[in-house]
Amino acid sequence: MVIKVEDTLRTDRLTDLKEAGDSAGVPAVARERGRAPQIVPDANQQTPAVGQRVTRPDSRPHITGQTRYIDDMSFPNMLHMKILRSEYAHARIVNIDVSEAEKMPGVVATLTGKEIPVNSFGPSYQDQPVLADDKVRHMGDGVVAVAAETEQQAQDALARIKVDYEKLPLVLDPLEAMKEDSPKIHGESNIYATKVIRKGDVEQALARADLVMEARFSTQMVEHVPMEPHATIAMWEPDGRIKILSSLGRITLGRADMARTLDMPVNRIQVVGTIVGGNFGGKNEITTEPVLALLARKTGRPVKGVFTRKDEFVSSTTRHPFIMDYKTGVMKDGRIVARKVRIVADGGAYCSWSETTLGKGAILSVGPYRIDNLEVKAYAVYTNKTTCGAMRGFGAPQVCFGYESHMDDIARELGIDPLEIRLRNVFDEGSPSPTGQVLHSVAVRESLDTVADRVGWKEQTQ
Amino acid sequence: MDVTITVNGKERSAAVPPETTLLTMLRTNLGLTGAKLGCDVGDCGACTVLVDGEPVNACLMLAAQVDGREVVTIEGLSGFQTLSPLQEMFDLFSSFQCGFCAPGMIISAKALLDKNSSPTVAEVREALAGNLCRCTGYTKIIDAVMEVGARTAAGAERA
Repeated sequence: MVIKVEDTLRTDRLTDLKEAGDSAGVPAVARERGRAPQIVPDANQQTPAVGQRVTRPDSRPHITGQTRYIDDMSFPNMLHMKILRSEYAHARIVNIDVSEAEKMPGVVATLTGKEIPVNSFGPSYQDQPVLADDKVRHMGDGVVAVAAETEQQAQDALARIKVDYEKLPLVLDPLEAMKEDSPKIHGESNIYATKVIRKGDVEQALARADLVMEARFSTQMVEHVPMEPHATIAMWEPDGRIKILSSLGRITLGRADMARTLDMPVNRIQVVGTIVGGNFGGKNEITTEPVLALLARKTGRPVKGVFTRKDEFVSSTTRHPFIMDYKTGVMKDGRIVARKVRIVADGGAYCSWSETTLGKGAILSVGPYRIDNLEVKAYAVYTNKTTCGAMRGFGAPQVCFGYESHMDDIARELGIDPLEIRLRNVFDEGSPSPTGQVLHSVAVRESLDTVADRVGWKEQTQ
Repeated sequence: MDVTITVNGKERSAAVPPETTLLTMLRTNLGLTGAKLGCDVGDCGACTVLVDGEPVNACLMLAAQVDGREVVTIEGLSGFQTLSPLQEMFDLFSSFQCGFCAPGMIISAKALLDKNSSPTVAEVREALAGNLCRCTGYTKIIDAVMEVGARTAAGAERA
């Protein structure tokens, strides 16, 4: 049976508005349940939704194929955009010739980076061009956009664009990129973000530890691969306002980025967040929205741009590969006394959400363990690869792989059960985090015990 | 070139360039946007439709190849206010999150159930192997299809 939870929730909200104790004002549903009207629910109080089966309000459009994602929408006179991307991972752009492409059938306009009022964006550092102008820093950099009557015509025109490049030395390994003599991608250093956490005296604690274990762990780049590729429709309205329909998840941030790149007041930009076919963090910042907006202004027509699957892989952001060096001092009884971590996050060509990812990764890299002596040094490094940005967890999955693998190695070396060594070190109620935050509602011990019990850990390991 | 296909029981024609895929014809020429373009290379299954009862990736098939044949899309499965049994179970089990894969999933599942009304889990997994979902982890999708099979076996109407 499907229970309509929506109604009961609405009732609760009505109840909230009534004065506490005003039983006459309590809706019948709440009275029948014998609940007193409450402004703020008690902690741990079951809300009426928990344990109920609900159907999603947007269920029907999805399962009948009636949901309108961006690519399902079109407007009269709409053009289609395709982007020519870089041929090289690192090169100076010497010349761009679009004259042949503009003569191609159906082509209405082209756009290069030099035509973008403020050609840079990014959530932390504005180091990323909307379309590359002076140089390309990875194969995914867009160089020229073409708007044509059909997608096929736009695609065909890309082949007629001539871009002259002067190849530059490239760096693909983040450890190489950290060296002083490495090719530089932006400015004078490839290290563009650093996070350091220090607590206690790590060297002294390592010196008195019974055992010191060292290991390097690395993780790979991961693309979100949303089922729906990035998609946008831009309309430059006759009143000088711009309307953007976008698969962007963070439309407010996107609007600010639009205002910056287009150099226009934010109140003239409307960004409509549509139903998104999968985000996972990869649709958290603008990609080609300003390009579509400018093409819409150039042509006076709506312009749609949908990423190809290749665009999605080479030019949208990905999860950072981490190289993690762990050094841990531990006593014979399994108590960890010191931990040093060095994280090198391969950020690819642009910063994107690297700073956020690095910060969270650094804090969590110690693991959910009470360790009095710590040193964490984390670096985000440019390489000539696909840009890394937000992806579920912001660095947490990478470091979890690192510290838990390391924990298993330590347990094996000491001959202690892997569950037991964790129980001897995990956070308790009130434990401080590596950055000194006092933690509450800590349930890691109970969680581990419960899981061990349910999977029959003791029986299996005996 | 002129292409005429029977889509969801109705004869539809369009003049299309020869390189036009069935997916483009359905979405652009016929306004049926239920089948989605996810990868355009036959990997993801979001564009799955039935051609003469067989599930195909509409992004890989030329419209011209389907001339004179019968096509069923997600739009052909339900009325405006009614759902097919498969759609009902996808609804009940919340077998989707972003929803982009759902039309293709449902069509692939229908192709299976039309031939095999109460499949095993292994058969369901095999039938849906060409449909990717990045959100759900597939469990609820398989549950929904199995439930339709179970209800059919219990004497309910066909999918």
